[in-house]
Amino acid sequence: MDDTSRQIRFTLNGRPVTARVESHLDLVDLLRRFDLFGARESCGQGLCGCCTVLVDGVAVSGCLTLAQLVDGRSVTTVESLDEGGALSPVQQAFIDEGAFQCGFCTPGFVMMTHELLKENPDPDEAAIRDYLAGNLCRCAAYPEIIRAVQTAATRMKTAQAA
Amino acid sequence: MNVMRPMPAGQVGRSVPRLEAREKVTGRADYVHNLVVPGMLYTKVFRSTVPHGRIVSIDTSAAEAVEGVYRVVTGEDIRKVVPEPYYGPAFHDQPVLALDKVRHVGEPVAVVLAEDPYVAAEAVQLITAEYEELEPVFDEVEAVTSRAVVHEVLKPAGTFPDLKHLVGRRDTNVALDYQLRRGDVDAAFAAADRVFEHEFRTQQTMHTPLEPMVSLAIPGHESLTIHTASQSPSFVRIEIARLLGWPENRVRVVVPHLGGGFGAKLYIKLEALVACLALLVRRPVKLSLTMEEQFYTISKHASTFRIRSSVKDGKITGRRCEVFWNGGAYADIGPRVTQKSGFTAPGPYDIDNVSIDSYALYTNRPPAGALRGFGIPQLVWAYESHTDLIARELEIDPVEFRRNNILREGREQATGTAMKDAAIEAVLEDIVARMDWSKPFDRGTGPLRRGRGIAIGFKASISPTTSVAIVNVYGDGSSSLYLSTVDMGQGSDTAMAQIVGETLGIETENVKVIHPDTDVTPYDMATLGSRSTFHMGNAVKLAAQHARDQLDALARSLGLPPGTNYGPKDLFKKKYGMQAGNIVGVGSYIPDYKSPDPATGLSDNVTPFWMIGGTGVEIEVDTETGHVRILRMVNAVDCGRPLNPKIVETQLSGAALMQLGFTLFENMEYDNGQVTNASFADYKIPGIHDLPARIENDIVEAEQKSGPYGAKGVGESATFGVSPAIANAIHDAVGVRLTEMPLTPEAVFRAIRAQKG
Amino acid sequence: MRGFELVHPASLGEAIKLLDTDDPTVRPFSGGTALMLMMKAGVFQPSRLVDLGGIEPEHAAVEATGDGGLKLGAMATLAQVERSADVMRVAPVIPRAMKRLANVRVRNVARIGGNLAHGDPHMDLPPVLSSLGGEVAVTGPAGERRIAIESLFSGYYETVLSQGELIRQVILPPQRGWASAYMKCTTRSADDWPALGVAVSLKLTDGAVQDSRIMVSAATEKLTRLAAAEAALEGAQPGEAAFARAADAAATEAETIDDARGSAEYKTELLRVYVKRALAEAVRNGAVQ
Repeated sequence: MDDTSRQIRFTLNGRPVTARVESHLDLVDLLRRFDLFGARESCGQGLCGCCTVLVDGVAVSGCLTLAQLVDGRSVTTVESLDEGGALSPVQQAFIDEGAFQCGFCTPGFVMMTHELLKENPDPDEAAIRDYLAGNLCRCAAYPEIIRAVQTAATRMKTAQAA
Repeated sequence: MNVMRPMPAGQVGRSVPRLEAREKVTGRADYVHNLVVPGMLYTKVFRSTVPHGRIVSIDTSAAEAVEGVYRVVTGEDIRKVVPEPYYGPAFHDQPVLALDKVRHVGEPVAVVLAEDPYVAAEAVQLITAEYEELEPVFDEVEAVTSRAVVHEVLKPAGTFPDLKHLVGRRDTNVALDYQLRRGDVDAAFAAADRVFEHEFRTQQTMHTPLEPMVSLAIPGHESLTIHTASQSPSFVRIEIARLLGWPENRVRVVVPHLGGGFGAKLYIKLEALVACLALLVRRPVKLSLTMEEQFYTISKHASTFRIRSSVKDGKITGRRCEVFWNGGAYADIGPRVTQKSGFTAPGPYDIDNVSIDSYALYTNRPPAGALRGFGIPQLVWAYESHTDLIARELEIDPVEFRRNNILREGREQATGTAMKDAAIEAVLEDIVARMDWSKPFDRGTGPLRRGRGIAIGFKASISPTTSVAIVNVYGDGSSSLYLSTVDMGQGSDTAMAQIVGETLGIETENVKVIHPDTDVTPYDMATLGSRSTFHMGNAVKLAAQHARDQLDALARSLGLPPGTNYGPKDLFKKKYGMQAGNIVGVGSYIPDYKSPDPATGLSDNVTPFWMIGGTGVEIEVDTETGHVRILRMVNAVDCGRPLNPKIVETQLSGAALMQLGFTLFENMEYDNGQVTNASFADYKIPGIHDLPARIENDIVEAEQKSGPYGAKGVGESATFGVSPAIANAIHDAVGVRLTEMPLTPEAVFRAIRAQKG
Repeated sequence: MRGFELVHPASLGEAIKLLDTDDPTVRPFSGGTALMLMMKAGVFQPSRLVDLGGIEPEHAAVEATGDGGLKLGAMATLAQVERSADVMRVAPVIPRAMKRLANVRVRNVARIGGNLAHGDPHMDLPPVLSSLGGEVAVTGPAGERRIAIESLFSGYYETVLSQGELIRQVILPPQRGWASAYMKCTTRSADDWPALGVAVSLKLTDGAVQDSRIMVSAATEKLTRLAAAEAALEGAQPGEAAFARAADAAATEAETIDDARGSAEYKTELLRVYVKRALAEAVRNGAVQ
């Protein structure tokens, strides 16, 4: 097998990093090398959302992203949300509404909810369902997830107004 | 005497947020999925491509030649570590890697070990095998008489007391036949006004936990540590020790959080393989399945249920049940599913004459085991569809017909065990009231027709099984709970901590729960069948009481008068002169049980408690396309007194929605034994758009007097009624009856067409 | 997945040079969502992937043309098209279809060109864009050509594109006066790939159907234009009777296929229902002004 690896530089949760990366490596496996396990491969087909991360501020499925292609870009994972020690309003709302059971899909839902509320700070239930339709929860905490998104939206609006 | 701080009000019954909530929302919770250890080899499995065949040869040379491959291992290599490498909870029928024969497509035949998982995956594609194909059998009813025999000899395991009666036989696919005979069914049929007979079928489905199965074994000096996503660490230890001929204490099994289980991660799954590999190559070995590979590993039984009932004066007088369970190629826990579900096959009705035959069959499909309900959802699907059909034929309101026949408190259920703390009526009446059953119902217009349906079911617990717990109170008064119950999302850590908090009079949030580690945490049979709240809950309560009693004794020994407001911290300080010492409380619990009489299947004590669940739905059928939309779903259960109402509610909607997927569309499809839709692209599970427009979950007022603080299990109860409630509602809406799951739009459409002629 | 060469041309011309080979293991890589699936499943093992992410930014432009049409650069992401005010004005059926197309993350990275070039009959955009009369401008070693999207697909996961040819742009003609709708039907979970997709576009003049385009996807081996259904509508008053005639014609002419989402027979019946419903929906949506 030829050596198809290459040195890449990118920004990871705000910090510049470098890595030697094989051409076939995907972004989830690259993040594992940085001990970041919040994005995780489950279905391996971009359908469950467990591997959601942001690349240049846009949500992508890490399992469908070639690691070499994040060269020069900015990658943000769920671990960035509480870097200051405090939970994000979305994370807190997920806890308060009990919006998970096993927790394996939760980082993906949390990341997608942040993206939804960035685009649409006041989503109705239909908009929540449409936006989160690409994330699967086998424990089926969907009713609680919808409530968590609504709670987070309300709190974020209130905080904004204050 | 109360030596504690004033007790924080009501730890039990409080909706404490999950103790591990913060780790989960931040992505920092530990799963085996995350685990990497130095020197670790990754494993990729080469799998059988034929459903039934003798292995003629396996060629691993090309794979071995791939740069970076550490070793390729076949079944014969495994014998070097374990001469008799067969495992299983009911039968020792499953080889670690195939030997001589393969029995289903996807069966592990060889493995590649490499430091780079991509290399292992690449190399495994270069392995080839030659098989002499044998006639396969796939259908559970055909398996009874088929010439194709999956296992030539049956080898009972004898591990569990409730499966002691299994016997070894030759040349049959019947792994277990459970029989129950009560009263005289033939006489009841002869004397009846009407006799009704139907056949119902369910399809094979898969748990698809989002964390696919994963195990990692690390060899030590005459010891072995297995980190595994397992629901049954104690069983894994015992079974691995048995395979290796070691004492239990040389095998350590560690289980962090599980990314879902639902029964998929029970007994032995990947553990025997990684254990053998680690000992063979003397390095840590990790095996992570892909989503696809899970479909070849374990599934939910497909089933056929023939049910025949006699009715006289509106009362069911006799019922004959014949249930065929498609167990796939290896028994796994199928025999227990067959027997335990057999107990309640006639449903929650008071019937004097009952005959039950429940058969566990081997076939050449991937193995079937436990999946959220242990067979009960398949049974309720049949008997509650049947109940509705009878009511319709007799022109009696289906709710009224159920009321006339319902099994009331104190009455003997089919097995001869009396119903106790079983709020069957309350569950039915709760749903009826919620749905305003007696009020007129909007039946829709044009192509959209509406209907509603109700179904109730019940389940006996898995018995007799043991749980042991340890509560350790430290020198500063803080405490930890050591137990081998696995929190796979059901919230057991939190609920068990609540029991400790309630018993010791401390805040739940201050109890640390030590996750299963068989070097540290005591025995528990397994986390399955909604048994933990009751069994482990009782053990935890006993352990906490034991600790409390010792604290009381310590206070007395220190000469403190009763009523002194001394906390544990002060007691330790007074006793040891500094922050030091421990109080260790131990609790062990096993309920009483009486094995069913082998001849009649009867016993006056088959279960320590009953789980009750029911569902009502209002639906809309698009008569032009067959699409069914769930407008409203009402789930109700008797779970005794809920320890944590919010977590219970999440369990109810989660269970009901999972069963909704099994009801409407989930289905493992086959082409000559090959699953053709083994991925989320083609095996669809419910997403957020599949959530009913309205979903309500009710916990009925009840108490399980023998349970910890009145509680009992609940993880499965809300699955029971979902499938038949929907089928009954479809019948109500458009007048057609589906008897085979899943209830796809095409099936509904075809039934409507057939009805129109 | 084994290692491969991943190259990053800076221009479309350079990309085409890199793709100019008979080797089928050399493929262009745009959003990569579909290709990654095939690579992970082991059904496609590339020797070289040509990353189109670095080519001239003009190929990702989305803009209205002066005559009331649209030009969509092939490298525009689906999300970019979904959010474009020009697209919303000229062809609102596109953003409406986007809401239930794959998922947000796929739409964020998948490109219009790649979506079409993949040839997957279950995709939503081919029926939508072809019902709008869309064409693709295709560039290759032999120069540029235009292909109507309705003629782009030659079979199940097959297109008429030659090795080395790239879709450069999607061109939609003026939409003024056309009323459009897209409806799809899933038969398993709500977010499944469709068992059937129906896209219709109607031009109404003086209360009669002057022209129409009716496309079916997913239920057929490839995207198919339903000429008999269109003929049944010609000159008709829009309404239940005419739509039923068109639906029956569609059901007769379409060659539906069996798969896990349903039998061919059932899909034919779904088509009959959905053609009717989509036509009614198009009338309700009204013509683009």
